[in-house]
Amino acid sequence: MSEKAPAGLLLTFARRGEDDAILQAIARLREHGAAEVAAVGTPASAPALRELGVGDIILYGEGHGARAVIGKLRRRRPRTAAIVYWDSSLAGHLKLEALALLTGAKHVLRVAPNSQTVTIGRFRLAWIVFLKCLLACVCTTTAAAICGIAFLCLRARQVIVGGSNAGRV
Amino acid sequence: MKATIIIINHNGCDLLARSVPAALEAARRAGGHPVFVADDASTDDSIEFLCKAFPEVHVLALPKRGFGAACNAGVEAAETDVTLLLNNDVIVTPDFLAPLLDGLARPNVFAVGCKFLNPDGSLTHALGNRTSGQWQGGLLYIHHETRPEVLERTCPQLYPNGGGMAFWRDKWLALGGFDPLFRPLYWEDVDIGYRAWGRGWQVLYEPASAVYHDQGSTMGRLHRPAHIELMSAKNAVLFAWKDLLDIRLFRRVIAAQARWAADDVLIGGLPNRTRALWWAFRQLRQACRARAQAQRERVRSDEEILALSSGGEQ
Repeated sequence: MSEKAPAGLLLTFARRGEDDAILQAIARLREHGAAEVAAVGTPASAPALRELGVGDIILYGEGHGARAVIGKLRRRRPRTAAIVYWDSSLAGHLKLEALALLTGAKHVLRVAPNSQTVTIGRFRLAWIVFLKCLLACVCTTTAAAICGIAFLCLRARQVIVGGSNAGRV
Repeated sequence: MKATIIIINHNGCDLLARSVPAALEAARRAGGHPVFVADDASTDDSIEFLCKAFPEVHVLALPKRGFGAACNAGVEAAETDVTLLLNNDVIVTPDFLAPLLDGLARPNVFAVGCKFLNPDGSLTHALGNRTSGQWQGGLLYIHHETRPEVLERTCPQLYPNGGGMAFWRDKWLALGGFDPLFRPLYWEDVDIGYRAWGRGWQVLYEPASAVYHDQGSTMGRLHRPAHIELMSAKNAVLFAWKDLLDIRLFRRVIAAQARWAADDVLIGGLPNRTRALWWAFRQLRQACRARAQAQRERVRSDEEILALSSGGEQ
């Protein structure tokens, strides 16, 4: 595929059970004028994406770094990106949303199983990414506090019973 | 060797109509063993039905305290050396009992688990056969063997499925039975199997003892699927907090759990994990007490437990 041709960009984790949503996303990208569809995939998900009809797969992971992937995506100048969500709550998927933002796609399609595809602009997406980043910070801090407190309490009880070498193999 | 068969029931009158006759027939063919039904405060006609249709069955009418507590009460009421626990949706085959008793006669064995078949006799997605475990991503991932050719011989397994297991009653009582930490459901059988291994005993899988299990037909009618998933995830966290005593591994597992929240926002798809962490945290005091008890009992390392239970050399 020529790197200068306008392409539609498919962003998905390609999890089991997402095939229908991926096919729906490809169809919507074509409706939005994408002559060809490119996708980011890991070496593990690439074969499944190829089977679903994606010819141009940009590999991520196992030696293919994030910066290189973003560079390759930008060179393809995708006008439209489609993000495949796990369910209609559109929760999570911050990685894919940030990637869509960084590639400079003007329109982003949010595709979820059993719900209508929603088209959003770049600024709306930036706002969503910002809010989710905040949420990630809050959740991670809370989870770290919970796990930290749990670890200290559980370890203390173990040491009281078994001595300071308890659990050391 | 005398054994007591205990069927656990809650509002499963229609299931008892199929499971009790099969259990009675198996008990009769094995030389006459008592059959109990531990009823966890059913509000349907279970008790009346049992008294009328099967007067030879001992019915324990219990207050509502959940699956684990009903099992514990049933085992306490039994008077034989060996006890069998069966779910009310498990249909035993006529000769399932003798192989379990043979397995228990081996030295150092705590429990023997049945071979679980789907109602149509297949093994596809059947749970509870030749179980083994591996710590991964903050949880113990349980592997349930489903390949028929691997399920043909008696061998060690991590835990016996609580839906069909035979065990020595004295060892069960020494372990304290199913831990109420895991209320309302799931992971109590993994915990007791893990602790039995940790105490120096063995748990076996017995292919000659076949039972038919309609997965989830009991729990599915008592709880919403989302609630079952959440409680199972909560108990998976509590299991790690209680039973993983190897400090190096424990540190790694807790660090992985702390990353779940970030993964939920970055990736998504498994939102139950973060909620499960919060639900588990609410039981931290109980988990601390349970961990102290696990530390007192333990004579094997976590690594040894997983190696031995997956068939590794002792």
